[in-house]
Amino acid sequence: MRRHAAVRMLLHDRATTAGSVLGVVAIIFLVGQQLATLSGLVSYMSVLVDRSGADIWITSKDTDNINSAGDLPMKYVDRLLALDDIEWAEPLVLAGGLLKREDGQFQPVRVVGLARPRMAGGPWEFAEGDIGVLLDVDAVTVDRLDLETLGGPEVNDVLEISGVRVRVAGITDGIQGFAGTLVFASEEKAREVGRVSDDRCSNILVTLRPDAKPNHALARIRALLPGAEAYTTAELATNTKLYYLTETGIGFSFGFTTFAGIMVGVVIIVLTMYTTVLNRVRDFAVLRALGARKSDIRLIVLYQALVIGLIGTLIGFFLLAGFLFGTRGSQLPSSMPLWIPPLHALFTLLLCVAGSGLAIRRATRVEPASAFR
Amino acid sequence: MAEPVVRLKGVVRDFFDGVRTRRVLQQTDLDVFPGEFTVLAGPSGSGKTTLLTIMGLVLAPTLGRVVIAGEDVTGYSEDRLATVRLRKFGFVFQTAALVPALSAMDNVLIATGVQGGRVTPELRKRADTLFEDLGLKEYARLSPAQLSGGEQQRVAIARALISDPSVLLCDEPTSALDVDSSKLVLDTLKRLSRDPKRGVVLVTHDPRVFPYADRLVKIEDGAIAHDTREIGGGDE
Repeated sequence: MRRHAAVRMLLHDRATTAGSVLGVVAIIFLVGQQLATLSGLVSYMSVLVDRSGADIWITSKDTDNINSAGDLPMKYVDRLLALDDIEWAEPLVLAGGLLKREDGQFQPVRVVGLARPRMAGGPWEFAEGDIGVLLDVDAVTVDRLDLETLGGPEVNDVLEISGVRVRVAGITDGIQGFAGTLVFASEEKAREVGRVSDDRCSNILVTLRPDAKPNHALARIRALLPGAEAYTTAELATNTKLYYLTETGIGFSFGFTTFAGIMVGVVIIVLTMYTTVLNRVRDFAVLRALGARKSDIRLIVLYQALVIGLIGTLIGFFLLAGFLFGTRGSQLPSSMPLWIPPLHALFTLLLCVAGSGLAIRRATRVEPASAFR
Repeated sequence: MAEPVVRLKGVVRDFFDGVRTRRVLQQTDLDVFPGEFTVLAGPSGSGKTTLLTIMGLVLAPTLGRVVIAGEDVTGYSEDRLATVRLRKFGFVFQTAALVPALSAMDNVLIATGVQGGRVTPELRKRADTLFEDLGLKEYARLSPAQLSGGEQQRVAIARALISDPSVLLCDEPTSALDVDSSKLVLDTLKRLSRDPKRGVVLVTHDPRVFPYADRLVKIEDGAIAHDTREIGGGDE
């Protein structure tokens, strides 16, 4: 009967209930959208590492993220291959360049040079072509989402990057980098663009044999290459993300916006629920006089908070799904890992309960004797 | 005479008005008996509603003891008093004080289910009977806003009776009603007071109510000034 009364009260006070629901929707949508965008950006930060297929990355000394310029001697590759734990080791050449668009304007790009024929660290999703197109030494791929930025190149168009002629041989699908527009090319072409000598590379990608022990192999590599850093793929990805989140202000910016979204929602919830209780002081006094304990009143308001929270969460996630669906495949970074929605919903419901605290306090302070005034 | 359903022994009530403490109820002894229609009368501010709320365990006395159906409830916790109220008392307020969000039927049922008790089919049947007895059968599903003042007050009486209380406490239940509705409500209360297991106490300052009383207790300046029986004699 208490639950029934709680729901009937909510339905009766439609305007204030709608206000409270709006507060929850604001939290779910605004915070969810921020988290989705942040998650999308974070996935961009370490995309080359995450999708490389390598077990271990070798970087320059004191380099803790993939987007810092690396400079390693190529002879390290041969040294690594001498270790019996290692299946293969391939150099990666990262070079910054300026792509000349058809209209004559220049667009900065980040050229990722892959060693043939393995093409380790190469693109993984294609709108046109496949990774085999990069076997051609002059070939490059550009991404579908960057076509407009790059002046609308098509497959087989010949372009210039920092004065080096390249041919668009394939279009990747949704491969976005954080530190610039990604263009995949052969190792040789990247060297040309970045003026990187043949005896140097940016990073070395290593894959271990199936029976190798990663920690043991990592220790051996570190001992073998004291002038370099060796990270597991997960370590380097985490370091890269942490670097951007803590060093560039992105973390603070998104954290602040998320906090602001939460605060806006909480304030709406607190005020509307408190107003609802103020309008119901007489009802609660009567219920108290009839025999309701403080805990019964608390339960009614708490139940209302949970109902408001659930409805708001459902509507909020519906709108959020619309946003995610709408931005899918667009340049706006957004992704929603599966663990976020349940945590977000739980957190929001807890906020609703916490937000109803003031209303509960007011409702339980109602004196039953006031029903007689 | 039967055992009193409510016994007040040396009950006193003080209020602090922010500047000084005022005694609004002098030391009072009062027994309420079942099968009797007791009217507490007095001018505004005389302390009659304070006395009623102390009887109904809504307000704690500053001094004195309260015994309900032989059980001394003085010193009980707030929650325990609420449970005694729920089981032993029915309340009818000045205005019907129905919850606007609930239907007439739900307003009645909430009086038994407010501590989480289940609404059993027997309880629903009892509510139906009450609605029928009070001439409210066709109003059960309506909201309070769709009922007249008299109809609302009869719903409030049904709410007060749903848990079959030992004591029915009514605080000027006719003050907001027209003459016809008042008569209907008072006739109903008079009839209910004939139940030998139930005592009815009604607070009023309206002398037109006095003829309904089996016992008239006049309160003046926070004390019982007169306590007389056989006022109205038989049924109105």
